Amino acid sequence: MNEKNTHDNDIDQEYVVPQWQLDLDRVGFVRKIFLARKWYGGDWWFVVLSAFLLLFIIIIGIFPQWFAPYDPKAEVSSSLLAPGEAPSSFVLVANIDSDIKEFKEIASSKNKVGIVVASPSSQALREAVTALNDEAKAAGEPATYNPRPIRFETLEEGLEATAAGEVNGFIAAPAELEGIIEKYPQLEICGALREETAKGFIFGTNQIGQDIFSRIIWGTRIALIVGLSSAIVSILVGVPLGLISGFISGPFDRILTLLMDSLYSFPGLILAISIAAVLGAGIGNVIVAIAVLYVPTYFRIVRGQTLSVKQELYVEAARSLGAKPSTILWKYIFPNVIPSIVIIFSVNVADAILTEAGLSFLGLGLPPDTPDWGIDLARGQDYLRRAWWLITFPGLMVSMVTLAFSMLGESLSEILNPRLAEL
Amino acid sequence: MSSSLRNFLITRIFLTIPMIWILITMVFIVMRILPGDPIRSQLGPKVSEEQAMALRERLGLNRPLYVQYFDFLWKMVTLDFGTALTQGERPIIDELGEKLPATIELTVPAMIFTAIFGIVSGAYAAEKRKKTIDYGIRLFSIAVYSIPIFFMGLVFQIIFSVRIPILPLAGRMDTLMMTNFRPITHFYVLDSILQGNWAAFRSCISHLILPSLTLGLALTGVFIRLTRVNMIEMLQADFITAGRARGLPERRLVYKHALRNTFIPILTLIGLQFAILLAGAVLTETTFSWPGMGRYLVDRIELRDYTAVQATIGVFAFFVAIISLAMDFLYAFIDPRIRY
Amino acid sequence: MMSNDKVLVQVRNLSVNYHTRLGPVSAVNDVSFDIYRGEILGLVGESGCGKSTLGKALMRMIMPPAKISSGAIIFDGEDVMKFDQKRLRDFRGRRISMIFQDPMTSLNPVQRVDEHLIEAIQVHEPKTVLENAQERVRTLIGRLGIQERRLRDYPHQLSGGMRQRVMIGLGLILNADLIIADEATTSLDVIVEAKLVDQLREIREEFGLAILVITHNIALVAEIADRIAVMYAGQIVELGDITNIFDNPLHPYTIGLLSSVPSIKLDDHEELYKMSGEPPNLTHPPSGCRFHPRCPEAMPLCSRFCPNMEEVVPGRWVHCWLYQDHPQKERSTIKVKA
Ligand SMILES: Nc1ncnc2c1ncn2[C@@H]1O[C@H](COP(=O)(O)OP(=O)(O)OP(=O)(O)O)[C@@H](O)[C@H]1O
Ligand SMILES: [Mg+2]
Repeated sequence: MNEKNTHDNDIDQEYVVPQWQLDLDRVGFVRKIFLARKWYGGDWWFVVLSAFLLLFIIIIGIFPQWFAPYDPKAEVSSSLLAPGEAPSSFVLVANIDSDIKEFKEIASSKNKVGIVVASPSSQALREAVTALNDEAKAAGEPATYNPRPIRFETLEEGLEATAAGEVNGFIAAPAELEGIIEKYPQLEICGALREETAKGFIFGTNQIGQDIFSRIIWGTRIALIVGLSSAIVSILVGVPLGLISGFISGPFDRILTLLMDSLYSFPGLILAISIAAVLGAGIGNVIVAIAVLYVPTYFRIVRGQTLSVKQELYVEAARSLGAKPSTILWKYIFPNVIPSIVIIFSVNVADAILTEAGLSFLGLGLPPDTPDWGIDLARGQDYLRRAWWLITFPGLMVSMVTLAFSMLGESLSEILNPRLAEL
Repeated sequence: MSSSLRNFLITRIFLTIPMIWILITMVFIVMRILPGDPIRSQLGPKVSEEQAMALRERLGLNRPLYVQYFDFLWKMVTLDFGTALTQGERPIIDELGEKLPATIELTVPAMIFTAIFGIVSGAYAAEKRKKTIDYGIRLFSIAVYSIPIFFMGLVFQIIFSVRIPILPLAGRMDTLMMTNFRPITHFYVLDSILQGNWAAFRSCISHLILPSLTLGLALTGVFIRLTRVNMIEMLQADFITAGRARGLPERRLVYKHALRNTFIPILTLIGLQFAILLAGAVLTETTFSWPGMGRYLVDRIELRDYTAVQATIGVFAFFVAIISLAMDFLYAFIDPRIRY
Repeated sequence: MMSNDKVLVQVRNLSVNYHTRLGPVSAVNDVSFDIYRGEILGLVGESGCGKSTLGKALMRMIMPPAKISSGAIIFDGEDVMKFDQKRLRDFRGRRISMIFQDPMTSLNPVQRVDEHLIEAIQVHEPKTVLENAQERVRTLIGRLGIQERRLRDYPHQLSGGMRQRVMIGLGLILNADLIIADEATTSLDVIVEAKLVDQLREIREEFGLAILVITHNIALVAEIADRIAVMYAGQIVELGDITNIFDNPLHPYTIGLLSSVPSIKLDDHEELYKMSGEPPNLTHPPSGCRFHPRCPEAMPLCSRFCPNMEEVVPGRWVHCWLYQDHPQKERSTIKVKA
């Protein structure tokens, strides 16, 4: 009877009890949380990972100015620069004997400046003039720079005209001039059109020359504001309604439930579209339109839990001891619904950010030119063939932020959901 | 058909009526009671007050609110949506009769794809709960959920029609082919088969692949999640333990017993998924210039055609209510506890 | 206890632990007993003492995060712990079967009754022709007192008692040698319960199988069982013939347990005995004998050493220091007369 039989070849459960489980009841609280990573496995890592990601995103959202090198609305360089591509610089070509040193000297309205028609140099000219005028304004001088652009069909035509003195100067990219300028000994390159930062932009620029990196950094703030505030509004409406409705029951409960169920079954985005379309563009309106969508979700979950907690013995006991209904609601029922609210909240924020991006993508959300991911994506759609970076980076940003929030929600629900807990 | 099933179905039909009523009322509230003047936004600020009044008169917007409400209800129920403000005098119902088939043609393949893919991988993840493959599938489901549907569409467009041009970029059919294609039902796939027009059929299918794949993939995330959670619960059910105690193979327990029972809650979920599906369809249609309901809605909103917008939303509401009714019917036929 | 023809199952030093977040739970600890062929053995004990766990362990149905940490189960001369998956599947169902507490949930709601039974036959005997299987099902179901037309019903259409009979049928259809009935009658009303108990006895006579009845209903055990095993906090504390134990309980826990059963005599108004203390938390079971904190007879020795399961008279095992010797024991060992 005392033969001890230990079978290591247990094929049914190739499950060997790990040492850490045996250690569990011998360690302290902090170590326990740390050991929990082995218990919860991947979910523990999901939570930690998404928490770090969220921390980072929230810091970016609060202090975008620390991270964004440029003003998101400023046109900082030429348009549609690929990531890392330096803007092509332009130079001024003039007669050697004209003694011109910089563009400023020939930029008054009396002068003529030559360019090749429909080339990037026309934009460069415009930008240079704007820059000069801004400079003058800043110095308190009258902003009167406005040279007359003369357009030529080809570079050679233009250079000939410059050599002949028909125009005061000619603007072209150095790469184009290479090998051609030598044919006109009377011309010289006077220097860069303006002092430009020759370095590129890590995510490139969009079609109006804004820095995409700065725009998506500032977009974080908008996304977080919309996501978090609409979620909070939904909670403030949905949770009390659910608590009260589940608690008092009766016709009030039935009507409210029918209402919420109908709202819940309606496609959220379409509802938001119609609300946003009627209310018009603006961040407050977007928040309201999105908040409406999630009220039924909170309502349903909170009401369901209230109904089941209400039946529990300890609540019955408290009631029979004469506790006030408000006390029962607040002290006994509310704490039970908090875990679910936390889970829905993070999924809700993720969903709200997606919906906001969708609304902006459809042109219904925020005023145009707000640094917003959805708006950037909508604008980038027209340049799909030429400039992949216009949509890629804002799109990745929306995905990343949504991913962080939904990963948190998903793994929290796996950990907190009593229906799934094995133990 | 037993009497309990008949009772269930009749009750369910009667429950759909208040639901449709609430949804239509909701449309009314959004369109007429929320602050914001549809007429002003339609005509723009430059138009004089008389002209605005004239339009209000024409649309009956100067009547008391309750009269408008009952008028609106009646028109919605009789599907009398009036004529669009911006598209000549074409009745909106005709327009929608063309758009709705387009949306259905897009959403049905997407739904089939997402249901099969989602259920299989969700069930597999549930079977392998807490193994690496489970975490992999879940990460995938979170990721596809998190990628905005239009972004996914744009990326597919860049990859499969710009970089490697094997699939068309947008639309329902090659424009050249459209000229001698006479749609009957406006389900183009069906129409081309009916007419034996195989070139058109091929064109339809190739135009359908990217949008429905995008839409389907975007929905898969939710589907995997729901299947997995329900399967895990089902695998803990007593009858599974009892089956194991009877020596039934694990495969059979998971994929026959548990999965068949999971279909019942999942079917309800498919009903709810339809709401997400339609929302996703709006974005997909916009991305792929697919001339369906969603695209129509967004276009009309841009044109500020207020009559068309309210009719479209109304039709969406009907659609949702009918789908949820259909799902409940199906549910009743699948679940023996209701059938008998 | 030698293995002989009479013995069907030998359980030796079986321990099962649940590995939970809060540490391991020792749900079954060093349990040894035999089940004889054709007997009805009652397993009684308080809620949470590990009865179901023990029952599942007999079928090796302990799922992670729980584990059979040690011990041997010899079923009809074969070591169950050495079975591979395939062998194990064959073993479950064909040799041993289990009926659970809740008849509402232990049948697949979307499978008809006959589909359950035929599936069991086909899985275990794939060569059986469908007609034969159906014939077998019909015969068996008739014997169990279920009308044949009920075969095409879904489980929700049957009453609780009928469902449990279907569950029993699932155990019988493959001629299992042992049926474990885990609180199989708890959720039935008294009359249905009585019928089912009668039926279990008849089945035992007719099919000659052994039944392990797990319950906390002592009255039920008294009515049906041949022998009884009393379990406390993961250990079997006393095992023997039903009459012997009811007439002369030896272990202090058994004594307490029997005197806390309400007597059925109507004129009996005496106060029920209430055992002091609470059942222990099995994450941190008491040292030594697990019953010592609640034991009226506890000795200093009891908190330090765990007693053995000793056969005090033939056919009677007790797990208590009162009945066995130890060098550090102060009191004299009680000798039990046969
Ligand atoms: N899945 C589980 N995880 C952790 N501990 C468990 C689990 N199942 C049971 N236990 C613990 O194991 C012990 C024995 O449980 P078991 O279900 O075997 O008791 P029981 O005697 O059948 O009780 P009851 O009469 O209530 O059915 C209990 O203390 C319980 O806390
Ligand atoms: Mg039990």
